[in-house]
Amino acid sequence: MSPQMIAFKDNVEGVLLACHELVQRPDSELLFAKDMDELRSKISFSGIEYDLKAVGFRPVANCSVLVQSLLGKRKSRMSGRDPDVEGYIRLVLRHSSCEPTELVRFMYSCEGNADMLYSGKTPTGRKYYNYMCDVSRSYHRLSMFARPDFVNGILSVKVDSPHRIGDMFCRWLAGKNPDLPVAVLEKETAWIGNGRYLGLENFTHIRSSFFESLRFSRESDDVDDLWDVYYDSQMIPVRRNKKHAQHLQPKSSSAISEMSARDRYKVERGISNCTLDNFTG
Amino acid sequence: MINRHTANEHHFTLTERMKILSEGTKYDSCNQSAVCHAFGPDGRCIQLYKTLLTNACAGECTYCPNRCGRHSTRTSLTPEEIVKITWSFYRRNAVEGLFLSSGIIGDAERTAEKQLEVAKLLRSQGFTGYIHMRVMPGTPLYLLEEIADYANKFGVNAETTSSVNYSEICPNFDYTSDVLQRLKWTRDLINKKRRETGYGGRIIGANDTQFVVGALNEPDREIIGTVDKFMVEYELRRPYFMSFDPVPSTPLENNLPSPKWREIRLYQTSYLLKDYGLKAFDFDAVYDDNGFLLDTDPKLLLAMSHPERFPVNVNSASRDELLLVPGIGPVSANRIIQSRPISSEKELMRMGIVVSRARPYIEINGRRQTNLSSFMGAGA
Repeated sequence: MSPQMIAFKDNVEGVLLACHELVQRPDSELLFAKDMDELRSKISFSGIEYDLKAVGFRPVANCSVLVQSLLGKRKSRMSGRDPDVEGYIRLVLRHSSCEPTELVRFMYSCEGNADMLYSGKTPTGRKYYNYMCDVSRSYHRLSMFARPDFVNGILSVKVDSPHRIGDMFCRWLAGKNPDLPVAVLEKETAWIGNGRYLGLENFTHIRSSFFESLRFSRESDDVDDLWDVYYDSQMIPVRRNKKHAQHLQPKSSSAISEMSARDRYKVERGISNCTLDNFTG
Repeated sequence: MINRHTANEHHFTLTERMKILSEGTKYDSCNQSAVCHAFGPDGRCIQLYKTLLTNACAGECTYCPNRCGRHSTRTSLTPEEIVKITWSFYRRNAVEGLFLSSGIIGDAERTAEKQLEVAKLLRSQGFTGYIHMRVMPGTPLYLLEEIADYANKFGVNAETTSSVNYSEICPNFDYTSDVLQRLKWTRDLINKKRRETGYGGRIIGANDTQFVVGALNEPDREIIGTVDKFMVEYELRRPYFMSFDPVPSTPLENNLPSPKWREIRLYQTSYLLKDYGLKAFDFDAVYDDNGFLLDTDPKLLLAMSHPERFPVNVNSASRDELLLVPGIGPVSANRIIQSRPISSEKELMRMGIVVSRARPYIEINGRRQTNLSSFMGAGA
């Protein structure tokens, strides 16, 4: 008899459906793929005949019903800021170190208790909870410290996160600026939000190289200097709580944009009250 | 940006005026970092452009650098200018909203009208960001109602704990009618707006207020008592504490500044009221003889003053009992309850409990987790 295998797509539906199948067939092997082509090549590469069950490649599942049947209702929220189970899986799957098969097995090991995803009681649980927090934190930091600029009239920003969050950030930026086309450049991909202003789909992605050919009529505001004046005006040296400021503006924010790097420098060094005027009288 | 503006016969560029008016708000800074922050519902920290409409104020608050009669540079920004700066910062994602306060332009009504003009203008231009308005004591209800339509958060500062104290530092206003009545209206309007928009719609921030700490000799016991009372009566969610710094050429210029740690200890105590379910009287044992907090974590002091409550068994204690243990917060208490049985300190560490702080106050499976400090008398 050939060994059993559950193949699933690495998205929320795929993970939930795979977990559901694993409950029925606990001895199955797991395999994930981003689409059917990748699945076929992975199977042919393994060279073993499997009794294969592929799930999640067609978006037909009702995730909330699946969550309810697999993990039940969360008894209490550990933290008001934790996402629900679907949000948890969505974030974890974006993590650069996430192993979808391990995630499915971890969810299976929760034995119908959704709270185990958030409690951190087991080492794997802690790991995946941390993954969820890492991705969420990276996204929040981008939202706070990325400083988009107008390129060819399009509000654009280059992001460099280890996790796959470019599209999430682009959706957020597009929602914040609904009257402008926005672009988030993540490695070779340019995510486009409010693309209708450019004659594209409202939310889409293109190759970064193609992005340079896009145009929109919008003048750039040069606000860097004005921001520096504002930032400096807010500082009270005697009341500065450096630790708190470091917490609000962590070191990693320096790498996100030049404006943030300048702000972060001031967090560390304070603001010099010695200016050119001191020398010119 | 070379716009010119006349104020007190001086000419200032827009940048200069922006600098002066932003500086005018920095003493309101409650977070002791640099730029004013707020926290979104998802816990994300957002930066705000914080400014005064004008620093020319008709009020005579004794601690304030903008009080009328004090010699200082006076200037203002027009609503259009504030809107322009806000948009510029907002597009670059340097801020996600505006925090607008003001000196009193004639009276509270006129000031609120001007503030409202800014909010209306921003919203009419499609601004979806966050708007926080600090309104003046005495702002009429009809204007508060209109402000509630445009702002995400609005409120009035109480500054102190009683009518007598208030009349001493803010002689132009009446504590009961100009402040407490407004806190009540704000509470009602927030509830009304939340019912109308629901939690999925526009964010409606909770009621908040600010206290100036150290301008008068009011003890911390009194401040904490007032905060607790406001939390019940006005559904105050977040009290802000602003350390008093003496400002030259004001009646309080010779007073001593309030130490920075006092503000921090007050914040910690307010979190214990807000998130831990404690009441003001629970802290009676942690004040000094004069009713002031010490420069030590109030939760630790509270635990040390009630040794009879400890150790608590992590596998059987109620949530309220767990919350009294230093090193265990609301999130970790929930995690403990959902993850029982707990068999080791390692598990607690993974759940985010600060075991080094909690150790003297807990037991796991009947075994007391103790350390040297408990033998030295620092523990329970």
